[in-house]
Amino acid sequence: MRIDKTHKPWLIVTVALLVLGAILYLVYAVGAPGGPRGGSALGLTFGIFGYAMMLYAGALGARKKVPTWRLGKTKTWMRGHLWLGLLSLPVILFHAGFSWRGPLTAIMMWIFFIVIISGVVGAVIQHLVPRMMTTRVPMETIYEEIPHVRAQLCEEADQLVAAVCGPLDGETPAESAEGGSPGQAAGAVALLVDIEQEDRARFREIYMAKVRPFLKDPEAPGAELANPRRAAEVFDSLRRLLVPQVRGVLDDLENICEEEQQLSHQIKIYRWLHGWLVVHVPLSIALLVMGAVHAVIALRY
Amino acid sequence: MAGRTRTTKKLAQRINLNYFKELHGIPRWRRILSVVLGGLGLIWLVWAVASGNPKPFNAGPVAHSHSMFGQKCSACHVSTSSYQQAVTDKQCLACHDGPIHHAEQTFVPACADCHVEHKGVFRMASTSDAACTQCHSDLAAKDKNSPPKFEAKISGFDKSHPEFLTLRAGHADPGTIKFNHQVHLDQKKGIRGPHGVVQLKCVDCHRPPGANEAWPYGTAEIVQASMTSGPVLSPGLPSRAYMAPVNYQEHCSSCHTLQFDKRFQDSVPHKEPKVVYEFVVKKLTEYIAAHPDQIHVVDEPDKRLPSRPVPPVPRNAQEWVAYKLSDAQLLLWRKACKECHSMSYPQGDEKLPEVAKARITTRWLPHASFDHQAHQMVSCESCHTKSTTSKETSDVLVPGVQVCQECHRSGANAAEARCFECHTYHDWSKEKHVNGAFTVKQLTD
Repeated sequence: MRIDKTHKPWLIVTVALLVLGAILYLVYAVGAPGGPRGGSALGLTFGIFGYAMMLYAGALGARKKVPTWRLGKTKTWMRGHLWLGLLSLPVILFHAGFSWRGPLTAIMMWIFFIVIISGVVGAVIQHLVPRMMTTRVPMETIYEEIPHVRAQLCEEADQLVAAVCGPLDGETPAESAEGGSPGQAAGAVALLVDIEQEDRARFREIYMAKVRPFLKDPEAPGAELANPRRAAEVFDSLRRLLVPQVRGVLDDLENICEEEQQLSHQIKIYRWLHGWLVVHVPLSIALLVMGAVHAVIALRY
Repeated sequence: MAGRTRTTKKLAQRINLNYFKELHGIPRWRRILSVVLGGLGLIWLVWAVASGNPKPFNAGPVAHSHSMFGQKCSACHVSTSSYQQAVTDKQCLACHDGPIHHAEQTFVPACADCHVEHKGVFRMASTSDAACTQCHSDLAAKDKNSPPKFEAKISGFDKSHPEFLTLRAGHADPGTIKFNHQVHLDQKKGIRGPHGVVQLKCVDCHRPPGANEAWPYGTAEIVQASMTSGPVLSPGLPSRAYMAPVNYQEHCSSCHTLQFDKRFQDSVPHKEPKVVYEFVVKKLTEYIAAHPDQIHVVDEPDKRLPSRPVPPVPRNAQEWVAYKLSDAQLLLWRKACKECHSMSYPQGDEKLPEVAKARITTRWLPHASFDHQAHQMVSCESCHTKSTTSKETSDVLVPGVQVCQECHRSGANAAEARCFECHTYHDWSKEKHVNGAFTVKQLTD
């Protein structure tokens, strides 16, 4: 989510609440005979409000599970998640009196810091990276579909080459040519480009050696075609090497490789966009669970 | 051959419509870790509760004085309702008394209001200033019609602490011993001691009780009769916290001898006039009994009594004793004793003079504690700034509050400035003995 001017009311309310809380805390902390304590009336109030904000921030995940429920816009929930989640840190610090000496409270505070820091990092990433996605990955697809789309791209490339060279699995075009015409040997695949047998074999060989391995495993380290500039050089040399009749197929193959490159880029950007959630979400849930237990036990003692 | 096209239809056709039913990569790990971490946290805490291990929930280390309780929460936390297990005053008072602060105080706070536990290993007496200023910032007395006897508005030592009472206008040293600090501590001329001129230092006379170093400038050549040390001060306080009062035997007798007659090596005892008188009579009587040939010997006039007329020649031992006694009394009462003591002379020849009580102040700040030993890195004169220039006994040489505030103030590089550093809330003179509430077995089980 971009941090734009629509966040201004949230920012103002958050700052106002923070200032109000800080004033209350200072007055209470200076005047309290035993110093600020979580168990005092105001300390408990801070604790309740802080935990309520944490719960609200945590409820965003639940809200996303039921997108059709009329519980307010998800964008509004997201803004509340960002600002109230951020505000919950100082409020909980006011509750704790800026000290955490017990094992549970110390662990919870450190988790809380990690959650807030990861959340801030995530918000910055979510603000900056989506624009990068639209400019650098115009062929973006649904992230979860990428393996499926890649399989289809590979299949599409195979069919394009098969249209020139005949079926890619089984006997080579040279072998099949001995028993009849290329059209007959191709079986289900109709040969659309009429070129010499020698050129067909060369094209097939180059495809199988250079292009297909990349399409099968685009993430393989050192893949030549994963680099856009290098891929352009490879395809230019292929155009010079192969007969002009296959240039249309080469253009399509280059386009498929370019889409593969973009999908690889999309995966990288996606990891930036969502990787921080692997830290943020599990620790948030652990924090909420331990916070609930802390409240129950602390109220007892 | 037609080029590749990316129509919406083509793109839609390659989407697997069931993709959302299965999680991959980041969302999958997010879910797994959420369950694992949330579950681990819950299991840890539930296990701690089930096994009776309070350690995870401990709000922090207890004070050093309570460390014997370890993890035994029930030693202090008792059931106060069906759910709560709070700390009550009763639990505190079961182990130690907490005498009242002042009879006029308007309310008594709960023990835990000031003595906050679980803040780490430090003194429980290290209370916050707010514990004191909740009353002392606007002091009131039980009797609304009578104003409080003490300063009514104190909000902190470095903010509004008043000048020490003894240094306020109208207050003077109540002591009656005539003493001139400037003469004794003269940096240029020094002072004549038994073996020549010496330079006295503060510590030569002002020493904590128990200090037994010899006076560095020699001992009295005239033997003292019946010498006794002064009383030990401030029982119950750190032995080296306060200075013992200066006493004649240890600090004055080397120079200020009480010799009453050149025939005797003994000085008179440094006691009340009656004892001195009897001592002198006894000495003279014994002497003349042992030396009857001295009765008719006329002494040279005593240079110490230049205005004294030469007495007639004694006719017998009684007259000899009477003349010598008269000289000795004149020398002692009108000169030697008077040099330091405030004397009064009742009418009548037979009456002995009266010596005003010394009234040496042993604690200048009776409502506060001070430890000289803790301040021994500081030279005496840097706090007691008037000590080398004071000429009058009535001068109060206690440092002012500003001197203390030079070190004891707010800020990172400052000494402790909270109230408890000098003041105690409880009046420990009223402390009652308490029988401990626990057995060794209870504490060690």
